[in-house]
Order: sequence, then structure tokens, then C-alpha cells
Amino acid sequence: MGLLSDPSISTQSKLVDGLARHVRKVCTVLYVAGVAWFFCLALPEFNHGTYLSENALSPGLVYPEIRVDANRLAIQLLEELQRERKDHLSTTPHAWIAAKMNEFGLETHTHNYTLRYPFGGGKEYHGKNIYGILRAPRIASTEGIVFTAPYRAASSVHTDISPSVPLLLAFADFARRKNYWAKDLIFLVTEQEQLGMQAWLEAYHDGDRDLDVSKAYLRPGNLPARAGSLQAALNIEVQDLEIDYVDVRIEGLNGKLPNLDMFNLVQRIMAREGIASGYKQTPRKKRRHSKSLFETNLRQMLAMLATQSSGVPNGNHGLFHRYRIDALTIAAHRRATHATLKGQPGSAAVPLLKAIEGIARSLNNLLERFHQSFFFYVIVNNDRYISIGDYMPALVALVACAFVKAYLMWSTLPSTEAGGELDTEERDADTDVEAEKFELPYGSVLIYLTATLLIGFLCNVLPLQQYFLEIPMGAAPLTTSVLSFLSLIGFILPFVVVLPPGGLELLHVAFLLIYGCSLIVIGLLNFALGFFVAVLTVPLVIALETKEDTSRSTLRHAIRLLALILNPMMIVYVIVLAMTFYQFPELPLQKILLRAATAAMDASAYGLIDSVLYGNFLYFVISTVLLPLWIICWTLALSKRRDYADYVEFEESPASSPQPQSPSQAKVKTS
Amino acid sequence: MDAKFFKLLLLGGVVRFYFSRTPLAAMIGNRVEFATPLNSHKRMQEGIFLLQSGIDPYQGDLVHETPLILSALSGLFQKYPHLLPAFYIILDVFTAALLYLMSRRFVRQKQEQQTTEQKHYAKDTAELQFSDLDKYDIPELVIVAYLFNPLTVMNCIGMTSTVISNLFLASFLYCLVKGLLLPCLLVLAFETVRSFYPIVLIAPLLLVFSHNSIRRGLVITLLFIASCLGVAYANFLVLNSWNFLDGTLGFIFYFRDLQPNIGLFWYFFTEMFEHFRTMFLITFQLNATVLYLLPLSIKLRKEPLLLATVLVALMTVFRAYPSLGDVGFYLALLPLWKRCWKFMAHGFVVFTFFLVTLSMMGALWHLWIYAGSANANFYFGATLAFSTGQIFLITDLLFAHVKREFCLFKGQKIWIDGVEARIVLK
Repeated sequence: MGLLSDPSISTQSKLVDGLARHVRKVCTVLYVAGVAWFFCLALPEFNHGTYLSENALSPGLVYPEIRVDANRLAIQLLEELQRERKDHLSTTPHAWIAAKMNEFGLETHTHNYTLRYPFGGGKEYHGKNIYGILRAPRIASTEGIVFTAPYRAASSVHTDISPSVPLLLAFADFARRKNYWAKDLIFLVTEQEQLGMQAWLEAYHDGDRDLDVSKAYLRPGNLPARAGSLQAALNIEVQDLEIDYVDVRIEGLNGKLPNLDMFNLVQRIMAREGIASGYKQTPRKKRRHSKSLFETNLRQMLAMLATQSSGVPNGNHGLFHRYRIDALTIAAHRRATHATLKGQPGSAAVPLLKAIEGIARSLNNLLERFHQSFFFYVIVNNDRYISIGDYMPALVALVACAFVKAYLMWSTLPSTEAGGELDTEERDADTDVEAEKFELPYGSVLIYLTATLLIGFLCNVLPLQQYFLEIPMGAAPLTTSVLSFLSLIGFILPFVVVLPPGGLELLHVAFLLIYGCSLIVIGLLNFALGFFVAVLTVPLVIALETKEDTSRSTLRHAIRLLALILNPMMIVYVIVLAMTFYQFPELPLQKILLRAATAAMDASAYGLIDSVLYGNFLYFVISTVLLPLWIICWTLALSKRRDYADYVEFEESPASSPQPQSPSQAKVKTS
Repeated sequence: MDAKFFKLLLLGGVVRFYFSRTPLAAMIGNRVEFATPLNSHKRMQEGIFLLQSGIDPYQGDLVHETPLILSALSGLFQKYPHLLPAFYIILDVFTAALLYLMSRRFVRQKQEQQTTEQKHYAKDTAELQFSDLDKYDIPELVIVAYLFNPLTVMNCIGMTSTVISNLFLASFLYCLVKGLLLPCLLVLAFETVRSFYPIVLIAPLLLVFSHNSIRRGLVITLLFIASCLGVAYANFLVLNSWNFLDGTLGFIFYFRDLQPNIGLFWYFFTEMFEHFRTMFLITFQLNATVLYLLPLSIKLRKEPLLLATVLVALMTVFRAYPSLGDVGFYLALLPLWKRCWKFMAHGFVVFTFFLVTLSMMGALWHLWIYAGSANANFYFGATLAFSTGQIFLITDLLFAHVKREFCLFKGQKIWIDGVEARIVLK
């Protein structure tokens, strides 16, 4: 008896019937297995040590040649820059940077871009990036490597990272004297954080393309010079020339990661130069050693997934991933006190310069793009990782709950179970009503699904419509009001539109399938987001039940409450609330709630702007995928049923499918 | 031919027209799941342009459409390019109408056959027999399944030449059911010269028209060969060169373009060592054509239309350049076997398979081609699962048919010594 060639006549199998009675237990086992598998990954037996796959990189094969004179140059440039900063409190000293690049013999260009901010009546912002290209002596500008340093004006609220620019320039001066470069080196100074980087990348790759000027929010302009296909990029954020440790940041847009080889390369070279460096590195004295290895690993994994799940890059490197360029940020942190200073102040930055040189020379060796090692991994420890094949089963087990439940529900649906007998024997005996009671109302369920999807679609489209943008209202209140209005419609929908008998069960099956598919797709594109959504929502999905069962009303109320809490908007608020509480524990509760509300409103607006400018899909996922799913979930949790007498009357009226879009109409017909 | 039929046709046309005006149309035209090297709209445009400029389109490696189609459509492509979507929509709606007429006729034939066999049927099998309502229900289901299946809708708005293939296949089936030998032969010959695989459909044709006489069968086969040669010669006349044979049939047989698609060929032929290529080419092409032909023809000799359905489906799974438009076509034929559905155990599993793999294909293609982080193996995994789902569906249909035939004559519930009997395959 094979899977495909089961010769039994009945399609009902005892196994399925038996399992169907224990859907919840089966699903709970799967859920627990998935979560347990994820926890197990933190154990050393379940993850692997990192290694370099790409032989061409050969890190540390050459002696670093950069000497203390480069460090002296950096110090001198930093002093000059500090003087410039006093004159440019809120702008970038473009002239000074360009002059220095010219002086070092780089092919220097400026890049102008414009941001048309859509909200609040619309405003225009202008920005300027400076970049210098060092043409490789050994190749005809077909490939390039980018070294970038973001510049922050003195008035910026973020940490001062102005020493990055002198460090970059000092390295450029050193690199210009060497003749072994096989790839063009681009030294880029961007402003306005990620916006400048995004504009530069768009201009580099699509600058010659004609954009629809009326629609594009970011007009990147074009670049006067390019350096071929970019192979890799290194973003440098240095707080001070005297550094304590280096934090290597890898999470990019939509949770994309650079090739693991790139991370390993940086780790190897940093270790060789004796710099304390690592993924999510923290100052030494704060690190406690009392925690077990399992706990530190788990914390590290969760921290990484948390950063990835928002899809917002944690450095300028993240935007490169969109263009298939492997990139990461080395964020060097300032030494807190000078008491522990070991080296001389005059050569403090030499190790970092040496590391940058080592990385540059390894990247210079690349024969083709990074492709050898993993692109999907979770870093457990600085030298241990989990590959996609090991962590995917956790998500698959969670998603399998939905599919298993859908299958078992489908095979016990009234029409598939008893449809055969009813069709033949009872059609003659009873009236048509009895038989049709078990015809599944595909049409109405389909219309209901379309209506919910339409609500989600509107969430994505409405806030950017011209007539909404012209309202003199900030981005945050506008987005929030549109979102809450639409979720309110979703909240009311099940009260107004009641599906015909059998509709709820069918809707349930359809919901489980759509939910499973969406989770798989989200999980493939951004594992962290998919996994967290699954962990949060699968319990509700398992608990949902549409059967008429009056005896267990407490459970039913609990499910409704849970469904209400798991509204995407509510979850965003709770997350923001938790973060506010964590950041400002001293505030009274009322103030925290209020502050979290404004922060959540801002977050939704930022989400929308991110999706428009950078292509972050978090907003899309929440509004267009998760919100409709929630509406269906809420409908199922309420499981409103129409009375049987009502239904007969309804069937007699010509329009047999309820119209979710015009609830009043549907109501008139039923009553 | 009632009002509902025309309403459905109109609605199907409107849906297609609406989507052909959205940005989706251009996107679908570039998706590998719909547009293969064989059927893509861009290549058709290229071919027509080359033809008009007096260059042999088959000297390059871009155009794989037959010269007859190219020259027939060149006027439309050159002079009225804005009418092209409407043209493809009309073709697709026409296909749906043909399928509707075909299924009406088919159900009527089945009912006639049923009345003659009625006395042999077992008692409790009313639900397995074609009822009076089926005359209306089944054709309606067929037309709905063709017109509103997202796969066929997208195939149509992507303006792939699969729309034309589907039209030919539908008219073949129509003529087959209607019993028109010559049109049937001509359509089949035309489609065979275009895309090679329909050659297997000669089997149902022979079963229908030969009436168990070997001589008639031979004559029909000869006629088919003659019409194939005739069609090929007509194609030859367009350009006065035989280059097109290598550009169309040769391109299909030798599988020259390794662009990924939803089929099984591309991955194997990218990975395999070059000196095994000939062997595997023959194996794969045999698998797609004659391997299942003989056993299925023997088993289904009384049901030529089911044989045609299964062959079309198998062809879609195993052909060199399959597209989702082909899948949509054979899915529309499934309602013809509504009376077997009771025995189809894997319907839900197959549906889930289709849903999951199709949504995964989009994500994995994005990760592979745009994000550069996944690779060919991920995408092939999804397409392999998709093909597995299709094979599940086909075997399920075959088994359901066999079980229905058995139950129709022996009854659904068989009791042996007071225990419900189970059938065991041995």
C-alpha cells in the first residue's frame, strides 16, 4: 500500500480520523518541538565553528605595511577637521574633504541628491556626498571596493564619529602609494546617515535611468564617475582614534547578511592585529562571566534575530546588500578611561589602520564575488554559527502546525465527510435545503477573503495618496489614523457580515493555508521576522476553534481575548512600550504609556517611509499580510453564526453571497 | 448556449482586460514561470521584426516560433501593437468557449453510454453516474476553471504563445469529442510541428477514430504523417529554408537553452557532465513522450478523453520548457471527471503543494537572482516539489478513475462475512 496507490475505496482513513480528534495535541507537540529545536541550537553540539571557505581571501598572508606616519597623518587631519567642525555646526565641510582627497591624488567628485519628503505638505531636502576613486593600476576599472565613512554634523543627536573621516583619508593616502591594487578603491564620505548612502548607491546603479520625477521621493541624480561592479564594501565608524574594542555589525536591509566569509575575514584580521573585536561586542568590564555558555549563546542568537527582524539596517553597510554587494560595518568604540592605556597616544590607531589595510588587501585578492560561504546564518558566538539547514527546521515545525491542522480540518469538514451519502440518499427524501446545507459556500468565503485583503492593500496605498498627503498633518498621526481606521473596519467586519453555515469552517481552512504560506515566504526572506511572528501567533492559531461548543465558554473567551491582543497594531504598541519601559524605567506608568503611544505612532510612520525610500518590507508585511490575517483570525475567534431560519430566508433572496463592502445592504437582505 | 455562458465569457475577458492594463502584465511577461524561451512574447516580437527585415529569424538563437505563426501575426504585431492584449484575450476566451462546447458534448455522450450500460451498474452507485444536472454543471465548472484560474489569467496577460498552444489543444479536444477526423488531424499536426510533444495525442485520436480496425488506424497514422509533412512544407514555403526545423523542434529536442523554468530539465542539464548529455537527452525526452504512452493507452482504451487529459498533463510536467500556462490548461480539464472526485484522496494535499511551492518560487527566485544570497538549488527544490505535486494529481486521477469503474459495476460497499471488504493491490 503506497502513498500514491492506496487501493482502498474509501478516502477516509482511520489514522486521519484519529488524528483529527487530537488536532491540538498534535499541533502543540509540533510547536514545542520547533521552539525546543531553536533552543537546542544554542548548545555547542548543534552549531559549527566558522572557517574561511574562499581561498582567494588568504587573510594575513602579507605583512601590514602601514606605519606610524599614517597614524600621525590621521591625528593631524583630525585636528584640522575639528577646527572645520566649529564653522560647520550643522553641515558637512565638503570643501575641506574634497580638498584633502584631491591633495592625496584621488579622482574626487561630489554627488548631489534631493529628497522630496511626502508628508505634511511636502518639503525638499538637499544633500551632498564626496567620493574619491583610486584607479587600480592593474585593471581597467571593471571592479571596485568601497570604503565609506559616514559624516555626522556637530549638531547631530547621534554619537560623534568624526574620526572616521581622517582615518579613511589616512588609509587613502597610504593606498595611493601602492601599485598592487587589482580593483578600484572608492573612498566615500556620506552625510545624513543612511539617506546619503542610499542616494549614492541608487545613483551608482540606476543613475542613468530616467526616473518618474513626480513619483520618486528620493531623486538620486547621477554620478560623474564610476568604478565598475562593486565587489565588497567596508563601512568605518570610529568614535575615537584611541579605541577600546570593535563591534562588527552585519545586519542589513530586510535582515540580509553579508557572506559569512566576509565576517570571518574581518574577525581573523582584527584578531591578528590584537584588537578586541566581535559580533555585538561590548566593553570588557561589563561582560560577566557568570553566565553559562548556553545562556550567552542564546542571548546572542536572540539579539541577532531581534536586530534582523525589524529589517532596518544597523549601519550604512546594510544598504549595500540590496545591490548584491557584501558589506559590513566596523564600529570602533572609544576607550572609556585613559588609565588602562597601553600603547603610546601617538600610535593608538595603528592597529586599526593595519586591520583596514589587511581587509583591503584580502578583498583585493577576490577573483569573483563572495559566493563560497553562507549567506543565511545565525551567529552564536564570535567563532560559531548556525547554517540555514540547521535553523530552518525550527520554523518549518512551527509552520507545519498550520498545514497539519488545515489538512485535518479539511478531512473532517461536513461536505467531505458526509457529502456523498447526502447527495444521493437524502436528496430525494428531504428537500434541497438539507443537501445544500453541506454545500460549502466557496463564493462567500472567497469574497470575504478578498475584502480583508483589500483592507490590507488599502493600508499600504492610502497613506501615500495625494489627497491624504495634502492634509497638513504630520506623517505619524496620518499613518496611524489610516491604520487604526482600517483595523477598526476589520474589527467590526465579523459583527456585520455573518457567513453562511459551513463558511466559518471553510474560512478556517483557507486562513490556515494562507497563514502557512505567508509565514514560509516571510521566513525565507527574513528568517528572524518569520520566526518571531510564528512563535507569537502559532499558539493562537492552534487554539482557534470554530465548532459550536457552549460547554467550554471560558476557553472561547480566552481565545477571543488572545486574538484581540495579537492585533498587529497592538503588538507594535506592546513592543514599543516594553522598549520605552526598558529605556526610561524611572518614569511613572501613565507617562510611559503616553510616550509609548507617540513612539508607536512614529514607528508606523518610519516604517512607511522606510518602505518607500529603502524598500524595507516590514510595513508591507504588517499592514498587507498580517492585518488581513488578523481580521480573519478575529472572525474565527468570534465565530458568529447565522440562525438556521435566517439562513433559509437568506438563500431564497437572489443575492446569495454577503457583500462585505456594503454591510448595510447585506443586513437588509437577511432581516 | 445559455446566457450564463456568455456572461462568464464576458467576465473572463473583463478580468483579463483589467489585469492586462496593470503593471502586473509586464512583470508576468518576464517571469520564468510563465515565459520560457519557447513561448515568450519578447522573442515573438524579435522573430517578427527579423522576418519583416528579411533576415532568417532562425540563424540566431532567440526565435523558436514557427514561420507560419510569425508571418500570420506579423501584420498585427507591426501595425496594431496596442491591440495585441485584446487579441490574446480573444484567443483565450475562444479557448474557454471551445472547452465548454467540448465538455457539453462529452457529458451528453457519457449519459448516452450510461443509459445503455445502466442495467449492469450496481445499486448504490447513483452518485458515481452522470446525473441530469451534470449537463449544466460540468461544462460550467470547466469554463470557470479555465477563465478564472489565476494561472491562465496571468498566462494570458503575459501574452505568451502558450495561449495559442492552448487554443490548438482545445480545438483538438473539441474535434476529438465531436468526431471530426480531418480538422482534428490538421490541428494536431500543426501543434506537433510547433511544440513537438503533442505528438503523443495521436494515441487518443487513433482510439477514437480507428474503431478497433488496424487498417483504419494505419490509414489515420499515414494521414497524420502526411499532414505533419504538409504543415512543415507550408512552413518551409514562408522562408524557403528548412532552418526553422532546427530552430523549433531541434531547439526543443536538444534542450539548448538552460534558462530555469518550472520543469525538471534545466537543473539536470546544467549539472551533468557534457559527455552524458546525449544519453540523458534521450532518456528525458523518452520520459516526456513514449514512456507512459503505451501502458496508458492500453489501460484507458475505453476512455480516450481521459487518456488525452492525462497525456496533456504528463506532457506539461515532463516537457523541456513547461510554463504555468500549460498547467492551467490541464487543470481546467479536471472537472470533466467530476464523478471520479469522490475517490481522489489527495486533492487537498495537491492544492496545498501548489499553493506553497508557487509562493515559494517567487521568494526563492528573488533571493537567488536579485538578492544573490540563495542559489539555483533552492529554486530547483521548489520546482521539484511543484512537479511532484502535479504527479500526485495525475496518479490520483488515474486511480480515482479505476476505482470508479470498479465501484460502478461492483457496488461501493462490499461485505464479506459481515466485514467491509478492503481491496488490496497485488
